[in-house]
Amino acid sequence: MAKITINGIELKVKNGTTILTAAKSIGIEIPKLCFIEEINEIGFCRICVVEVEGEQDLVSACNTEVVNGMVIQTDSDDVIKARRTTLGLLAAKHRFDCWRCPKDGMCEFYDLLKANDVVFEEFGPGIGRNPEKIFGTGISQDQSKCVLCKRCVAVCSEVVTAKVLKFRDDDGINPIVSPTPGLAFDEAGCIFCGQCTKTCPTGTLYETDHIKKVESLLKDQNKKVFVQVAPAVRASLAEEFGYDIGTPVRETQGKMYRALDLLGFDEVTDTNWAADLTILEEGTELIGRIKNGGTLPMFTSCCPAWVRYTEMYKPEYMENLSTAKSPHMMQGQMIKAYYGKKYLDEKPENIAVVSIMPCTAKKYEISREEMEVDGVRDVDAVLTVRELAKMIKRKGIDFKRLEDLELGGQLAQFSGAGTIFGASGGVAEAALRSVYEILEGVPLESVEFHDVRGVSFSKDYEGTIKEASIKLPKTNIKLNIAVVHGGSALKRMYEILDAGKKQYHFIEFMACPGGCVNGGGMPITNDIPMHEVIQRRSQSLYDQDSTDLPIRKSHENKAVLEAYEDFLEEPNSKVAHKYLHTHYTQKGFTKE
Amino acid sequence: MSTESQNVKELFESWILDAETKLSEQDLVQNMKSYLVGQHPEICGKCTPCRDGVIRMEQLLDMYTNETATLKTLKELEQLTYNLRSSRCSVGLDIGKNFEVVLENNYNTLYQPVKKY
Ligand code: SF4
Ligand code: SF4
Ligand code: SF4
Ligand code: FES
Repeated sequence: MAKITINGIELKVKNGTTILTAAKSIGIEIPKLCFIEEINEIGFCRICVVEVEGEQDLVSACNTEVVNGMVIQTDSDDVIKARRTTLGLLAAKHRFDCWRCPKDGMCEFYDLLKANDVVFEEFGPGIGRNPEKIFGTGISQDQSKCVLCKRCVAVCSEVVTAKVLKFRDDDGINPIVSPTPGLAFDEAGCIFCGQCTKTCPTGTLYETDHIKKVESLLKDQNKKVFVQVAPAVRASLAEEFGYDIGTPVRETQGKMYRALDLLGFDEVTDTNWAADLTILEEGTELIGRIKNGGTLPMFTSCCPAWVRYTEMYKPEYMENLSTAKSPHMMQGQMIKAYYGKKYLDEKPENIAVVSIMPCTAKKYEISREEMEVDGVRDVDAVLTVRELAKMIKRKGIDFKRLEDLELGGQLAQFSGAGTIFGASGGVAEAALRSVYEILEGVPLESVEFHDVRGVSFSKDYEGTIKEASIKLPKTNIKLNIAVVHGGSALKRMYEILDAGKKQYHFIEFMACPGGCVNGGGMPITNDIPMHEVIQRRSQSLYDQDSTDLPIRKSHENKAVLEAYEDFLEEPNSKVAHKYLHTHYTQKGFTKE
Repeated sequence: MSTESQNVKELFESWILDAETKLSEQDLVQNMKSYLVGQHPEICGKCTPCRDGVIRMEQLLDMYTNETATLKTLKELEQLTYNLRSSRCSVGLDIGKNFEVVLENNYNTLYQPVKKY
């Protein structure tokens, strides 16, 4: 224990505690910018400096440990002056266009400038630190706003392990943070998970804009524009309008549908429908592989960031990926090729599909060449939850006061299995519910598989591998499954597979820690620990499954079965393959 | 290290040891600036006060050379010098310490041209 004094208050804290944490324990928030606990404790920005008695220099609170007897001032004139001056230096090299900035009100830098009443004189040529814009199909970077906090670099290398972003300080006076210089994100090994866009305190890293595209689609008289919402979106969109994280889905889902309707989409559908469809396709594929000695373990393919990770970094495992497209791509084709014809007598070419996703990688996914059937693209635009919220606000829609809208359409009916896709473990659990019953021919006693649920990581950035074995008594198979989420866990799982010691049948992979509920396109939640956000959003999906939805198994979703009767014939049929399955190719990249 | 920066370095050392080393305004500003420029290779670019502060200080010194310096210029120079105390490593900290001494010993010289009232 160390006895210290902060702003005249004496306290005892554990040895090894940082000044920042010690101050926090007595309700003093020291401003910080570059710090992320455990991930980025590098002391670059110097916003968190404090005065320590007996020290000539100011010390950074975020990475200085307390010493017995330390006397600390966090708000002396010198400290405040230093904080303001440093913020002023950063501001002087920042291009401000806050009202149009992709950070849209969640900017930590703006908040610091405001809280500290910073006055500064611009001393660059008004273009910010660096005028360069780096493009990517999923995410982009506008370096004129970079404050060089290095948070994205830490997340990309420690959490995601893709190591795309680097702090380039060959010229110490003018460093930049970027992917391999001269290359777009697509060429530099990025998997488009978007975790960096969430951690960036400014609007430097952001999802590649699709709002303009959607706005022009909505204006196009010759197109019927369909929209679909991913499972995880219903667990987070309302946060953008002042609801608590983890608000029950039943309070907000109807409003979400209504808001989409008001935005002018011709028809609102729900990707949860195609999540159920995915289970039938993927589940059948799995059963086939087990029975016919196909490549095992089979990997899920609904996370495009994960698929891209494999295509780039572990192409030898491409055979293991399920050939099923991700749910929103299936839904896109089903809207265009099936639903449009059946209900509206529209040609596929005249229909556009917009997906609302928790994800930046889905933006990249729709640009993949092979994602079309007979020249008709699967999906035309992808909005993140943040982008959708922006559009709703722009249109002057008061979300809280909206009347619920219920969807009656075929492609909006879903089971509880579809909705839990949004949480890590959800796809595996949904698959188990169906695979078990199809193989065993008897109903499951309990449909909940708790082994694959939850985020058990002790540290936010680790991600987890969860394992479960399920005995199928009649078929006499012991199904070994694993659920993997978070980049560093992907890497660990590949090490396990490379070593060849464990035999799995089925592995669910998601690139984002916690799964889609923590996706790169989700609302930003400053200052709430990541695992708590994940836990609360996941819980609202599991609650919807257990209390709001009478049907909890994908193969009992009548609206899906109907599509098989009318159009797809049966899971993995030729027609299903044409519209719902894809293939993979090795993807190159350049890193220096 | 080039001979020029060697000379500047020696000059700084003598300044620090001996408060009586006085230079004309022109020479003083020149030397202060070359000292800062000479530090560039040492600057790692990681922390704000040093990376962005030093560049700004050079610009402020240029204002002396262009005869556009005002009292605000001097104040800002002082403020940025002091702010180097929040640097992350000894490169920034040392630049700051040296500048503090120089400012202290030559305040008058730097004050003269900005005294416009
Ligand atoms: S990053 Fe922040 S301060 Fe900069 S323009 Fe965007 S909102 Fe404004
Ligand atoms: S999207 Fe993911 S992989 Fe790409 S730069 Fe950001 S964190 Fe790295
Ligand atoms: S891009 Fe964003 S997170 Fe990365 S260093 Fe710049 S400001 Fe920080
Ligand atoms: S938050 Fe401590 S140095 Fe950036």
